[in-house]
Formats: sequence, C-alpha cells, structure tokens
Amino acid sequence: MSIAQVEEVQLEQHQMSGGLWSEAFRRFIRNPAGIMGVAFVGFFVVVAIFAPLIAPHSPTDQDLFAVATGCCPGPSRDHLFGVDELGRDELSRVMYGARYSLVVGVLSVAVGLSIGLVLGSIAGYLGGWADSIVMRLMDILLAIPSLLLAIGIVAMLGPGLSKVMIAVGIATVPIFARLLRGTILGQREADYVVAARSIGVRRRTILTSHILPNSISPVIVAGTLAMATAIIDVAGLGFLGLGPQDPATPEWGTMLTTADRYIATAPHLALFPGLAIVIIVLGFNLIGDALREALDPKLRRYD
Amino acid sequence: MLRFVVRRLLLLVPILLGLSILIFVWVRALPGTPADALLGERATPADVAEFKQRYGLNDPIYTQYWAYLKTTLSGELGTSVASHRPVTTEIKERFPATIELAVAAMIFALGFGLPLGFIAAKKYRTPVDHGSLFLSLIGISIPVFFLAIMLKYVFAVRLGWLPTVGRQDVLIDADHPTNFYVLDGIVTGNFAASWDAIQHLILPAIALGSIPLAIISRVTRASVLDVQSEDYVRTARAKGLPPSQVDRRHVFRNALLPVSTIIGLSFGILLSGAVLTETVFAIPGMGSWMKEAIFNHDYPVLQSGIMFLALVFVIVNLIVDITYAFIDPRIRVS
Repeated sequence: MSIAQVEEVQLEQHQMSGGLWSEAFRRFIRNPAGIMGVAFVGFFVVVAIFAPLIAPHSPTDQDLFAVATGCCPGPSRDHLFGVDELGRDELSRVMYGARYSLVVGVLSVAVGLSIGLVLGSIAGYLGGWADSIVMRLMDILLAIPSLLLAIGIVAMLGPGLSKVMIAVGIATVPIFARLLRGTILGQREADYVVAARSIGVRRRTILTSHILPNSISPVIVAGTLAMATAIIDVAGLGFLGLGPQDPATPEWGTMLTTADRYIATAPHLALFPGLAIVIIVLGFNLIGDALREALDPKLRRYD
Repeated sequence: MLRFVVRRLLLLVPILLGLSILIFVWVRALPGTPADALLGERATPADVAEFKQRYGLNDPIYTQYWAYLKTTLSGELGTSVASHRPVTTEIKERFPATIELAVAAMIFALGFGLPLGFIAAKKYRTPVDHGSLFLSLIGISIPVFFLAIMLKYVFAVRLGWLPTVGRQDVLIDADHPTNFYVLDGIVTGNFAASWDAIQHLILPAIALGSIPLAIISRVTRASVLDVQSEDYVRTARAKGLPPSQVDRRHVFRNALLPVSTIIGLSFGILLSGAVLTETVFAIPGMGSWMKEAIFNHDYPVLQSGIMFLALVFVIVNLIVDITYAFIDPRIRVS
C-alpha cells in the first residue's frame, strides 16, 4: 500500500466518523419509516400540548340535547367525532386523552428504566452473588405474564392512573435489567475498560463514565419500543377499569370500556380512541425500529 | 437428552420457590387484613385475636410461609371469597376455557403467520414484502381489546355472522365432561355443540392471535431469508433439485427452528391478552376471573390464579425448550 493509498483510507475513515450520534442521526433521517413514526408521535405531542387551544369543546362539557334522543349521535358538523353517552364531545376527549397516554407512557417507562438500569448495572458490573440474586429475581418476575404482573401490582396499590403507571413500569423492569446486564457484561472486558482499570480509575467512575455511556444505545431502542407496549398496557388496564377512577378523565383505555357497552349503537365511541392508540403506538414502534437500524447498522439485515 | 431435561427441571425449582415467596409476600402487602375481610367490620378485638390464633397469623412469618407452601403443594387452594366455591373447582372450569382460546389463537397465528412470513421472504423487497412488514407492524401496534371490540361490532353486531359473547349458545344442551367445549362435543358425539363452540371461538381467537401472528410472520421471514443463503440450500439448488422441493425440504424446515422458540414466548402474550379478550367476549376463563377477583378483593383467587398461570407459563416454556433441544441437538450441549 503506497502512502497515497494509506492517506486515502484515513481520509475515508475520517469522513465516516462524524461521531456515533451524528452518524446515527443522519441514518435515522434517511429512513422514511422513522420519519413517519416521528410524524405520528409528534402529531400527538402537539395535540396534547395545545389541547385546550384546539379542542372545539371542553372534554367534560355535556351537550345534553345531543343525547336527548338516545345514545349516541355519530359524527356531525358540531361534533366531528360524535358525542359519548353523556353528551360530551368525543373529538375533544380524544385530544385531551393524548395528554394522559403520552405522560403515563413516558413516566411508566421512566420508572421501569431507572429501576432496571440500577439492577442491571449492579448485576452486570459487580457480578458474583449480586448478579445471581438480581437475575433470579428477574427470572421470577418474567415467569408471570406481564399484564398479570401489572394487575397484581395494581391490586396491591389500588386502582388509579398513577398506580397503573407504576405497575406497568415495574412490569418492564426485567426487560431493561436483562438488557443492561447483557451489554455491560459485553463491555466489561473491552480494552478501554481494562485500560481504565489498570490506571486505577475507581469502579464507580468506570461504570458511570465508561461502561454506561457505551451501553446506552440498545437501551434507547428498547425504551422506545417499551413506550409502545406501555401505552397499550396502560390503556388495557384502563379498559379493565383499573385506570383513573374519575369518569370525567378522558383516558383512551377507559373510554373504550364505555364504548364496548354502547358498541351496537355507537361504534364511533370505540373507533376514535382506539385508532388514536393504534397510531401513537405505531409511531413509537416505527421510531424504535428506525433507531435500532440507525444506532447499529451492523444489525440491519433484511428490513 | 435426559440430562438436559433433568437440568432444566432442576432450574425450575428455585424459580417456582421464589415465585411462591413473592406471592406470599404480595398477599400480605395487599390492602386489608384477612381478619377484616372475613369477619367484617363489626368483629370485636377478641374475635380478631381468636381468628388470628386459629389461622396461625400470630406465628412467625417463616412458619406461616411453610404452612402456605404445604397446603398449596397438597392442592388445597382455598375458597373464593366471591363465589364461596373452592378455587380448585373454579380452575377446573375456567382453565380449559382459556387454554381452548389460547390454542385457537395460536392455530390462527401459525396458520396465517407462517405462510405470510414465507411468502414475504420469497418476494423479498417487493410490494408484497413491504405489505407484510407493514401488516405485522400494525399487528403489534393494535391493542387486543380494541381489535376485539371492532371484530365484535363488524362480524357479530353488523353482519350477524358470529356470536358475540360466551363459549356456547345457552340454548344448546351439551354435557361437559372435560370442560374443553370443542372436545366435549366430539367426545359425547354432539357435533352441533362442538361446531357452536368453534363459532364462539373464532372472533376471540383472531383478536388474541393478532400479536403472535405479527411476531411469527416477522420471525419466519427473517429466518427464511437467513436459511436461503446457507451452503446446503445452494448445494440443493446446484444438484438440480426443483425450487419447490428445495423450499419444502431444505428452506422451510430449517427456517421453522427459530420460529418454535417464539411459540413459548407468545404463550405469555396470549395469557396476558386473555384477560382483555375474555372481558370483551364475556368468556368465563382464567383472565376474566382474575379481573373480577381484583374488583371483589378476592385474594385467594388472585393468589392461586396468578401462581397457577405463572406455573403454566413456565411449564409451556420448558416444553418448548425441550422440544427445541430435541429438534436441534446443538442446544443440548451449550
């Protein structure tokens, strides 16, 4: 290899390495599926933030004339998505519902992620008996189907939106703990960690400033995909009647409970909140898949 | 092979023991004490003290756990607070309903997921392939209960093709020796009853099977694409075997291996989804039972029900693992 060739190779490599994150970002925005996911989620974020400004009615105001003739009039000019059994505007309720789903989704993943992060780091980095105890505990939790686990936790805490959030979060802990333990185990013997250890860097510093930052990308992917599952599970618990106990709360899953009761005469009550869940969950799934491809192009094979 | 099975069985023991401790602790963390629940508000302190003495609630916690373990292992699961019937009797009635539903959902998921994934891989990077990927993405994004409600509306309420609720028409006169309604009809020679039970299963099975269907089709597709580039497939083609033979004898068979592991994982999804599906279609199974138990504060039912379902889940996964090791000898060694 001549010097010119070597320089050429180095130049190429230099152009390639715009840093992990900017490279990943470039790959992400070139992926139409990912952009579509961002658009879906972004749409609901905007709706959630500006719900009081763009919603045509209040989510709790009752138009009793609309339901005077029976439940429940479908879409009309006044109520684009129709009204529910109490005469409340369905469109406004779906719009306000975006707030609950997004916030509860984010918070429950945050709960699961932070607990999982701590447990996974302990197991992966300390190893030995700490590893055994944590991982056996995770095995036990994984033996209970996730929604049943969440139901069990709600039984303990009592129903309510915040309780549901915690329950769904705890049900995701084993996923994050296992994932993090796996990636940390992979990093523990990496050259840069061995180097840091040999010059006497403290264990905690190695973990927080070397291993964790390098283990974070699979966690981000799993976190995004967990958002999708969390939103579905929260809605599911809401549908079972374990969600917000105040019937005025326009939570999508809870709305579907009443919709199920009036399904024969008012299918629009089920359709709109249901579609909202599908679109927002689809959005997170698309983003998660696109992030996985962007952060680790080696994994990309057939999609 | 025997060593593998024994080792897997031994690994199960600590998990089940841990599970029993977890559930034991969980029941004690539930709101309300058993004395309050069973004696009511008017119980005097003396009543409560006597109750605690009689049921060993004053014993040290490990004695209580040991007693709990002994009674559970002897198959004594207590009595439902809501129905006043033994929990074991109710499990005998309700568990078959859930298993029937889960099996029907799995048949649906495999019946459509395998061909869909296979065709998508064969038509790699064509609109058919993209369509199947999109479909599976929708499949994992749609909540089971929403799909169930919509199916019920379209096929039961609007079109009237299929029944909306329950496991069997109430007017049908049928015996239930096994409580698996489809099987009962066949065993007793009452084929009309079987057919009716199958009709009741169709919509719930589609709703419940949608997520496994999506996962199975995705895994099948990736697995077929993997296998297609293997040396033995190239050899088969090179020796002049007709493409249909190559697909059937070499590609499809080997591609099924990773799919079989998904079946075990999917079973957990099915048990979770059964709670919601059974609620929508008013099926008296384990799932709807757990839901009712929460609202009734029926702790004996919750305790035994969750333990039982976890046990079933663990056993199904064990069976899948053993089957997998049986098909693929490489697993046994590692």
